Amino acid sequence: MNILNSRASTLPHPDFYISDDGLLSLGAAETTLIHALDSKFREMALAAGAEERQFPTVIAEEILDRSEYFQSFPQFASAVDSPSKKGKYFLSPAVCYHCYQLLKNSVLAGGTLLSCQGRCFRAESADDSHLWEFTMREIVFLGDEGFVRTQCDAWKQKIALWAAQLGLTANLAPAKDPFFVAETRGKKLLQQIKELKFELTAPGLLGRDVPVASFNLHERFFTSRFEVTLADGEPAYSGCAAFGIERWCMALIAQHGVNEALRRVEESDDLR
Amino acid sequence: MGSDATGANTHLNPAVEILLKFVNEDLLAGSQEKVAPDTALFDEGRIDSLKILRLIAFLEVRSGQKIPDELIVMDRFRTIETIAKNFPER
Repeated sequence: MNILNSRASTLPHPDFYISDDGLLSLGAAETTLIHALDSKFREMALAAGAEERQFPTVIAEEILDRSEYFQSFPQFASAVDSPSKKGKYFLSPAVCYHCYQLLKNSVLAGGTLLSCQGRCFRAESADDSHLWEFTMREIVFLGDEGFVRTQCDAWKQKIALWAAQLGLTANLAPAKDPFFVAETRGKKLLQQIKELKFELTAPGLLGRDVPVASFNLHERFFTSRFEVTLADGEPAYSGCAAFGIERWCMALIAQHGVNEALRRVEESDDLR
Repeated sequence: MGSDATGANTHLNPAVEILLKFVNEDLLAGSQEKVAPDTALFDEGRIDSLKILRLIAFLEVRSGQKIPDELIVMDRFRTIETIAKNFPER
């Protein structure tokens, strides 16, 4: 039954219901696929030594402000009222911001991996690839520059290999849009040349390529703002790998159908 | 490395030598560290958002052509040797 949607007929898959505001509801098999996908990402993260954390769906304005989120993406933020009406909160636009807050004012003993999954919200114009609410699994790496670069490269390779194992036609390439919005041409070109963000893209339900994963080097952007340092007192480096679970689901269904997609995910090897 | 970090190597390709002199004596003036022709130019944060624009302006004047943003990528800018090869003087 199509309960949410005025737009289901535009998608070639009957069990994806997307409302005009980009709210998705799924059929039973699609829901199972979502859980199976996240389980695989979670297993890979834990096998790599990541500590799993759970964070609230809402995030304090102060954390986003410190991350310069409102300077980079002011149009995506969705404000919510708290019960006490005292603090200012937003629906989390990404789960990794919570990790920097968690580690605020701390000294890292060495390379650190955290993994978290949560519902994220970005008030973009809704279509099959831009949902207001979606599920994101992230692996955040912090440490010295070498550790963070090595982790980022390893996750790029691991996930591209896993996509190939699933038979998902996908392409790994430097992203066109940066992780932070650069206010000047110089900053934009510097980000572009340093290849701070890579994306794995795959055709979605409407045949357009959409990013299903991103691999980001933040340099010292977050750690200098949240004062996360190495033993020598210098800010640590950070990076993250982020997976848009609904986009993986849609891309796999577009290429294999839901039942075959689920079989492939469940039978795929855990890449360690 | 094929040269020392001062650019004093007499066997350098002239285009590399000119670029090396610009980077070490102009862009990185005031910095203790100097680069060699095969140094990864964008490591260690030595080129910032202003320096990249000055480097591009220098190359555009030498080549007599505007460099489109889409050509400003790591494969063409990794080292001074790479830049000299990809953006020859007019």
